Amino acid sequence: MSNLNIDSIKERTFDAIVIGSGISGGWAAKELTEKGLKTLVLERGRDVKHVVDYPTTNMYPYEFEHRGEVPLATQEAAPIVNRCYAFREDAMHFFVKDNEHPYIQKKPFDWIRGYQVGGKSLLWARQTQRWSDYDFEGPARDGFAVDWPIRYKDIAPWYSYVEKFAGISGNKDRLNELPDGDFLPGYPLNAVEDYFKGVLKTKYPNRHVISARCAHLSKPNPIHIEQGRVQCQNRVLCQRGCPFGGYFSSNSSTLPWAEKTGNLTLRPFSVAHSIIYDEQKGKAIGVKIIDTNTKEEIDYFARIIFVNAAALNTNLILLNSKSNRFPNGLGNDAGVLGKYVAFHNYSARISAEYDGLKEFKTTGRNPAGGGYIPRFRNVLKQETDFLRGYAAGFSAHRGFDNDVSKVGESLKNGLLNPVLGPWRVGSHMMAETLPKEESYVSLADNEKDAWGIPLLNISIDYDDNDAKMKADYIEQLTEMFTVAGFKNIQANTAGQAPGLDIHEMGGARMGNDPKTSILNKWNQLHHCSNVFVTDGACMTSTSTQNPSLTYMAFAARSVDYAINEMKKNNL
Amino acid sequence: MKRRSAIKNLLIIAGGIAILPSCSQESGKASIQLNNLDINQNQEDLLAEITETIIPKTDSPGAKALNLHLFVLKMVDDCHDKDDQKSFINGLSELDKLSKKQFSKSFNEASQAQRTQLLQLLESDKETNDDMYRFYAITKRRTIQGFLNSKYVMKDLKRYELIPGRYDGYASANEITKSAS
Repeated sequence: MSNLNIDSIKERTFDAIVIGSGISGGWAAKELTEKGLKTLVLERGRDVKHVVDYPTTNMYPYEFEHRGEVPLATQEAAPIVNRCYAFREDAMHFFVKDNEHPYIQKKPFDWIRGYQVGGKSLLWARQTQRWSDYDFEGPARDGFAVDWPIRYKDIAPWYSYVEKFAGISGNKDRLNELPDGDFLPGYPLNAVEDYFKGVLKTKYPNRHVISARCAHLSKPNPIHIEQGRVQCQNRVLCQRGCPFGGYFSSNSSTLPWAEKTGNLTLRPFSVAHSIIYDEQKGKAIGVKIIDTNTKEEIDYFARIIFVNAAALNTNLILLNSKSNRFPNGLGNDAGVLGKYVAFHNYSARISAEYDGLKEFKTTGRNPAGGGYIPRFRNVLKQETDFLRGYAAGFSAHRGFDNDVSKVGESLKNGLLNPVLGPWRVGSHMMAETLPKEESYVSLADNEKDAWGIPLLNISIDYDDNDAKMKADYIEQLTEMFTVAGFKNIQANTAGQAPGLDIHEMGGARMGNDPKTSILNKWNQLHHCSNVFVTDGACMTSTSTQNPSLTYMAFAARSVDYAINEMKKNNL
Repeated sequence: MKRRSAIKNLLIIAGGIAILPSCSQESGKASIQLNNLDINQNQEDLLAEITETIIPKTDSPGAKALNLHLFVLKMVDDCHDKDDQKSFINGLSELDKLSKKQFSKSFNEASQAQRTQLLQLLESDKETNDDMYRFYAITKRRTIQGFLNSKYVMKDLKRYELIPGRYDGYASANEITKSAS
């Protein structure tokens, strides 16, 4: 190793380092490079270049060897990731297989990961709903976790900032619990979704169905064209990567933008081992990585470091960054690092049929996925025997009913001349869960991965509050469906382990008090001021909204703050 | 280009996908590479006629022309468990035996009417957990899947749109579009 060579150190020194190239790391990289900082982005996986590395993107279903099904041997070798809805033949190359990157389940937890440039931003469900003060004030009002150090007004301009660049489609719905954003035109609801919206409006004044807001270019602006992206073509094959750049991903948007500045250095195959802390300087000076191919250990240096490795891996890196000053992990004076992890409870869904509106059907595909029901429980005040509440998806579709009871010509005729079936409707719960001290991740004592990094222990579970909320969701949705005249209502409460929601959050939470939190209101470590965390690890509570948009806004806001602090020579 | 088209000629197109042909030059073996199923040429021919009976050639291609029997084999080989695979092999010959019992002819020697009659007989008991019924249920499901997902149906008959470029939530139910959303 040539760490002592001065030229080599120079080559390995940047203004900023970003660990992770997913949805929040991509934003940090874009903001840093745009502001003129020479930025190194470390990615543990391989490179995935926009369009050229989307091998399945233009394939017809019949071009897949198993028509989309994952072969049984692959399923059996990877039972965890196999439970993810998007782990199909067309996108399975973007998912971590169980045996490639083991972890320790103290309690069942389905950890779904995408180790490549762009991370899970290639695979996400693209739902982008803002938080409101009903969400930020939750912990303080209801007495759990710690108070958020920010309020809606602090982040609102940054929501606008990222929405304009990413391209978010939605309608101005004028709901206090789900603030409007800077939207491209929303995707319309269909006949039955609109019908249900109307039913709720009459019978439940505080329950709304809106068109789900999503990161798709319904009508691109010049800023999107400048990124090389064009209008979403309603393929809804997003998980393969989109050749049109129709949805937002790091690969289609922030990373190429950062690259154009000439200030970006992207290093794939670089797993972050730890952040290097300098005891004399009293701050972090760089990141120790391991080249995943050569297993060589290399140190990179920078003035500021953004940790965006995705919630649980960010915790792992901070916990593994041990020094004399921080024997329990970087910035962990409070002893809460890795604790108070929470997620979204997605373990209930409900479906039904509707006999009406048979004069309509849908054609084409809706990238927004249909409707979204913002949280309606305990919004203004506590009113149930559980804390917080749930949002819900709601969508309707009408497909063909193929009569497959026959054999021969009549079967074939039926298949070639299918008849429309009834409308089918469905909803899924997206419930807030409460961050608790006993929900934690930690470093394994002995077990290490192939690069000598400790494995992660994960111990996260549901609680009574989750069970009560789930029962309420089923009860309320059943009632609402009944009122709407839906038939054959079927609740599915089979359940799933935490993690499968892919919304794990917390562990390095934000807070006002350095004694009980890891990050301040700028996503800056209370005790190591040149390190910032703007991914899911920073979340003090989870609320109900899909979190990615909030991570993007945090990343942009935090970079802006860091640059100002650098100018003032505070960093 | 020459090399590419040469390779292409070696592949067997089943409903649109390319399947590697069997490496074995031994006669009497299945025509595609299988990892779990042990199928000989006779069994393959029998399966071909069964799928053709399910979806026959009319003024449009039937199962055999679309190689759906090979698609069924491929799926059973890669996407079904050992139990299913065992039932599949057993059920295939059970069905042939039933034909001999009913018509004193093997399935492939029976008339088209007899073949259809035989499969219709199985229709009523598809849920039965007997090898023959299980074989039939798997074969029928996979044949239909292969047909609806074939290049012929999806692309030639325009039943699938790769790039819809639109979404209409209030399309008229009477409007003639063959594609399901």
